[in-house]
Amino acid sequence: MQRGELLMALGLVAGALLLVREALRLPIAWTSAGPGPGFFPFWLAVGVTIVAAVILVRAWRAGRRRDEPFVPPGAWKPLAIVFFPMVAVVALIHYLGIYLGGALYLAGYMRLVGRHRWAQVAVVSVALPLVLFLIFERWFLMPMPKGLALEWFLYGR
Amino acid sequence: MSLLGIFHDLLYGIGVAASPTNLFVAAVGLLLGTAIGVLPGLGGTNGIALLLPLTFRLQPTSAIILLSSVYWGAIFGGAITSILFNIPGEPWSVATTFDGHPLAKQGKPGIALAAAFTSSFIGAFISIVLFTFFAPPLAEVALKFGPPENFAVLLLAFATIAGLEGGDPLKSVLMTLLGLLLGTVGFDIVSGSPRMTFDVVALQSGINFIVIAIGLFGLGEILLTVEEGLRLEGVRARLSFRDVWETWKLFPRYVWTIIRGTALGFWIGVLPGTGATPASFMSYGLARQFSPRGHRFGTGEVEGVVAPETAAHAAGIGALLPMITLGIPGSPTAAVMLAGFFIWGLNPGPLLFREQREFVWGLIGSMYLANVIGVLIVLTMVPAFAAINRIPFGILAPLIVILSSVGAYAANNQVLDLWIMLASGLAGYLFKKLGYPLAPLVVALVLGDMTEQALRQSLIMGQGSPAIFLHRPIALTFMAAALALVALPALRALRRQARGRRGAAPAPAPAPRG
Repeated sequence: MQRGELLMALGLVAGALLLVREALRLPIAWTSAGPGPGFFPFWLAVGVTIVAAVILVRAWRAGRRRDEPFVPPGAWKPLAIVFFPMVAVVALIHYLGIYLGGALYLAGYMRLVGRHRWAQVAVVSVALPLVLFLIFERWFLMPMPKGLALEWFLYGR
Repeated sequence: MSLLGIFHDLLYGIGVAASPTNLFVAAVGLLLGTAIGVLPGLGGTNGIALLLPLTFRLQPTSAIILLSSVYWGAIFGGAITSILFNIPGEPWSVATTFDGHPLAKQGKPGIALAAAFTSSFIGAFISIVLFTFFAPPLAEVALKFGPPENFAVLLLAFATIAGLEGGDPLKSVLMTLLGLLLGTVGFDIVSGSPRMTFDVVALQSGINFIVIAIGLFGLGEILLTVEEGLRLEGVRARLSFRDVWETWKLFPRYVWTIIRGTALGFWIGVLPGTGATPASFMSYGLARQFSPRGHRFGTGEVEGVVAPETAAHAAGIGALLPMITLGIPGSPTAAVMLAGFFIWGLNPGPLLFREQREFVWGLIGSMYLANVIGVLIVLTMVPAFAAINRIPFGILAPLIVILSSVGAYAANNQVLDLWIMLASGLAGYLFKKLGYPLAPLVVALVLGDMTEQALRQSLIMGQGSPAIFLHRPIALTFMAAALALVALPALRALRRQARGRRGAAPAPAPAPRG
C-alpha cells in the first residue's frame, strides 16, 4: 500500500507538471478581456502540483513500513478476469460496434467465466444487443457505435 | 413570498406532476430506480448518469421528474439488498445493513424491509414539506447575488465536500482541483481558443462529465466489488401485510429517532456536496447513543434500521434544495442531475423559480406524488426486486459494462469517450483504494465552468484585484466559512501527526467508501 501511495503521488506530480506546461501555451496574465484563457487552468495545475508534491514528501517520509499489499493476494485473478475483458470490450466496440462487440463479449464472458450452457449463452447474447438496438436506434433514434465492419455491411462504406 | 402563494404554487405543481405523462414517467423512474438501487455496482448516481442521455427528447419537466424518481427509487431499493443479502446496493445503505441483515437472518426480513421503507417514506415526506417552504425564500435571497457572491458560494461548496468527507484533507483538496482542471479542457468560453487538449481534436468539445462519472463510479466500483470477493447469499424475501402492520405498530416508539434523523438528514443534505451517506451514518450513531436500547444496536434492532433510513431519504430531498435555488448540487447524484439542466437548456440558479415555474413546481409536486407511489410500489414488489440479485455474476458483470459503454458513448457520440471511461474506471479503483475521495472531483468537474466564469467576472469587476471579495460582506462571510471548513480538518490532522510523531507512527485515516 505504501509503495502504491508513493507511485500515485509521483504520477500525480508528473501529470500535473505536464498540465502546467499545457496551460502555459495560452496567455495566463491579464488581457484586454480580463484574465487570459490560461489563467484558471495554470493556477489549478500549479495547485495540483504543490498538493501532490506534499503528499509525495509525506509518503516518502513515512518510509517503507511493512504493510498489507496493494491488492490482496487472492484477488489478482478475479480482478484480471474482470479488468482485461473490460479493456477488450472497449476495443471490440471500437472496431465491431456495440451490438456485435457487445454480443461477443457477453457470450465469451458467460461461457468462459460464468460457465453457462451454450443455449443460455446464445439466447442472452443475441437478445440483449437486439433489445439495445430497438431501444436506441429505433425508439430513441440515437445512433450507437456500429464499428467499421457493421457500417460497411449496412451502408457499404 | 406569502404562505398562501406557496400553497397556490404547490397545488399548481401537483397538478403538473399529476398529468398522465408525468405520472407515467414517475412510475417508470421509480421502477428503474429501485432496480438500479438493488443492483450491486449501480447506484443512484450511475443510474441517473446512464439515463441522462435518454432524457434529451423529453420535456424538461418530465425529464427532471424521471431522474428524480429514479433517485427516490434508488434510495428505496438500496435498502433491499442491504437487508436481504448484506450487500449495500448504495453507499448510504451501509448503515442499514448493521441491524437490517441480522433481523433478516432471525427470520424477520419482512419487518426489516417494512421498517426501512416506512421510515424512508416518513423522512422523505417531512423533508419535502420543509423543502416546499424553505426553497422559495432561499431563492429570493440568492437572486441578489453577483459574481463575487457566486464564486464564494461555489468555494463554500467545494470546501464542504473537502472538509466533511472525513478522509485525508490534502487528498480531498487535490481531487477538487483536479476536477476543476478537467473541467477546463475544451474551448474557452470567453476567448474561444481550445485549451488543455494536447492537440487532440476530439478533446476540443471538452471532457464530458457523464463519461468520467460512469467510469469512476460504475467500472471502478465493479473492480472494488470483485476484489472484495463477491458473495451473493440471500435470505428468501417474503413480505406479508401482517409484517407491515406489526412494524407500523412499533413506530410511535421511535418518534424522536425519526425526528432527529429527518432534521439531521435534511440539514446535511442541504449542505453542498455531502448527501445521504454521511447523514445515514450520523443518524445511526446518534440513535445508538440516545436510544434506551442502544446497547443492543447491531444485533437486529428495528430502530437501527429506522435511524439511517429516515436520514438517508431526508438528505436525498434536502440535497435538491441548493441545486434548485442556487445551482449548487448537494450530492454527487444532484450533480449529475445538474448536468442535465444544461442539456435541457435551463440555467440552474435562482432565476429558475421566476422563469421556469412549471419546471420547479412540477418537480416539487412530483416529489409528493412520487414518494407516495414509491412506497406503495416497493412494499408490494419486494420479491420481484430481490430476484434481480439471482442474476449470476457471469451475466451481471458484462451487462453492467455494456450498459456503461452505451451511456458513455451516448453523451458525445465519440468512441474516444469509451477509452476515457475505461481509464477513469481504473483511476477510480486506484484512487479509492488509496483514500482519494471521488465525490469532490465529480462535483468540481460539473461546477468548473461556472466557477471559472464567476472568478473571471469578479476579477473584471475588481479591475484585476482580488480585493473585490473583501469589499462584499456576503462573499467575505462565505469565503471565511469555506476557509474554516478546509482549515479545521487540516489543523486536526497536523495535531494528530505531531502527537503521532511522539508516540506511534502516523497513519492517515482511510476515507470511508461512498
